[in-house]
Amino acid sequence: MKIISCVKPVPDPASRLVINEEKTWIKDQDLTFVASEADNYALEEALRLKEKHGGEVVVVSMGGEQAARVLRSGLAMGADRAIHLFDPKFKGSDEFATATTLAKAIEKDGGADLILAGVQSDDLGTGMTGTMTAEFLGYAHATVVVGVEANPDAKSLRVRRELEGGIIEMVELPMPATLTIQFGINQPRYASLKGIMAAKKKEFKIWSAADLGLADNATGKAGAMYEVKQVLIPERKSKVEIITGSPEEAAATLVEKLRKEAKVL
Amino acid sequence: MIFVIAEHKETKLKPITSELLVFAQRLSRDFGQPITAVMLGSNTAALAGELKTKKIDRVLTAEHEELTDYNPDRYVEILKAIIEKETPFLVLIGHTTQGMDFAPRLAVALRRPLIAGCVEYEKEGDRLVLTRQIFNAKLNMKTALRGEPPYFATALPGAFAADEIESGGNADVISFPVVLKGAARRKILERVEAQKGKADLSSAPIIVSGGRGLKEKQNFSLIFELAEAIGGSVGASRPVVDSEWLPREYQIGSSGQTVSPKLYLAIGISGAIQHLVGMQGSRCIVAINKDAEAPIFKVAHYGIVDDLFKVVPALTKIFKDLKRA
Repeated sequence: MKIISCVKPVPDPASRLVINEEKTWIKDQDLTFVASEADNYALEEALRLKEKHGGEVVVVSMGGEQAARVLRSGLAMGADRAIHLFDPKFKGSDEFATATTLAKAIEKDGGADLILAGVQSDDLGTGMTGTMTAEFLGYAHATVVVGVEANPDAKSLRVRRELEGGIIEMVELPMPATLTIQFGINQPRYASLKGIMAAKKKEFKIWSAADLGLADNATGKAGAMYEVKQVLIPERKSKVEIITGSPEEAAATLVEKLRKEAKVL
Repeated sequence: MIFVIAEHKETKLKPITSELLVFAQRLSRDFGQPITAVMLGSNTAALAGELKTKKIDRVLTAEHEELTDYNPDRYVEILKAIIEKETPFLVLIGHTTQGMDFAPRLAVALRRPLIAGCVEYEKEGDRLVLTRQIFNAKLNMKTALRGEPPYFATALPGAFAADEIESGGNADVISFPVVLKGAARRKILERVEAQKGKADLSSAPIIVSGGRGLKEKQNFSLIFELAEAIGGSVGASRPVVDSEWLPREYQIGSSGQTVSPKLYLAIGISGAIQHLVGMQGSRCIVAINKDAEAPIFKVAHYGIVDDLFKVVPALTKIFKDLKRA
């Protein structure tokens, strides 16, 4: 089974986010980037499927040095090879342009039996790109996946989706298929020292827009379907009453207010 | 024309359908566009009858026995045909596990823009500017659509108030002829309720809920101690459950339990919308978090911006002393 695992570099969740001067994104020059959390679950699931059924896991990421970094840690976790989509022309891609680029890269690599991506990223967080890639490639797909099993025919999958209100839906999909993996499906492994050493010898391809045969208006900002007007701090509509003082004082005031004002105790 | 893709389960419209209609009714006033509710299913008469009483212009139904259960392949196939024929200005879809499942495919199939997870909009001249949350609701992003309509947008559950829906309509109901090609790729085998377990929080009067801010599994004892002292039940946000600090049955939010106790204490929970939709109906919400910018403070009634590792033990002590007194 050939599995492509898509990994997106995002600022470390502990980062303090500052909006850039153009107000179109955050100032990301000095931030540390890591793999988006849900993508780690997807990669772990890819590695487990490979361990069970054989084949290979290819990690793919788009971006600058940050993407190269998450790809190297993917290799250290156990992926077999990496594809780094690296070109200034990719900059400013939205979900549509990213999916266009990913689909081209996967085609160039000879397609896949399975493409796994996180259910949503920690930055844009829309959960669209994986499924858009499926449509570009004409693959079957399922979203919010909490369980994957290959059928004995090795041509189809049984997949568990998590719906609202604690409902689990079991579906069957033919391969090739694209799945977006829900948080918590497994416990992602850490890279071992041996894994980190082995990663250095693994294949690491770098592809540009020209390598993928992508026209200038098909990727990056030019290929995006929307334009970012402004990034801003959300307005606080609430009338929350912030209780101040030392922790002991604040706790005492809170209890007093819950009893006398809100009357819930 | 604004399309609202109705979401329904068995014989009921889901709350997101009303929320989308509220979104559409506001847009309709601002952009002078009529509204069509689009409903796919195998037996749509009753729900179409319910939709037509809302203040909208038309209900369009597409019926087929294969549409009894939601299937993305069929939804994309049929909605693509409807949209190609009707060329609406905007298609509104819920940012639910169903909407997220077919909207991206549909937008790509038609090569049209999709803005996912919208929470608000603005009219800028004649242009539609949609706002969505990024970085787990820490920031908002305003986006303008490119090119010609139809445009697609998904709306976050809870972003538009369902109770603002305007009724008093008597819309025409028309049916769209369904012609299906080939077999759907996805086969739905079954839907089951995940194990509920012991922690049924739906009727708990007081819930003390902990999040990622607790940092480690063993620190969750702070939450249990406070819950015991105050006489409440324990809940958790998704990251706590994903990290296996607590079993899934404790999870509160869109993929866990929905609760509305008289008192909800959110401790070390930043307040992603998926969590907020599961608890914002609580009568009194208290947030304790050291990040003053955390979205949980948007829905809270009382807040303490400080280190939970200092505030929570202080609270527990007060309740223990009260009990003794």
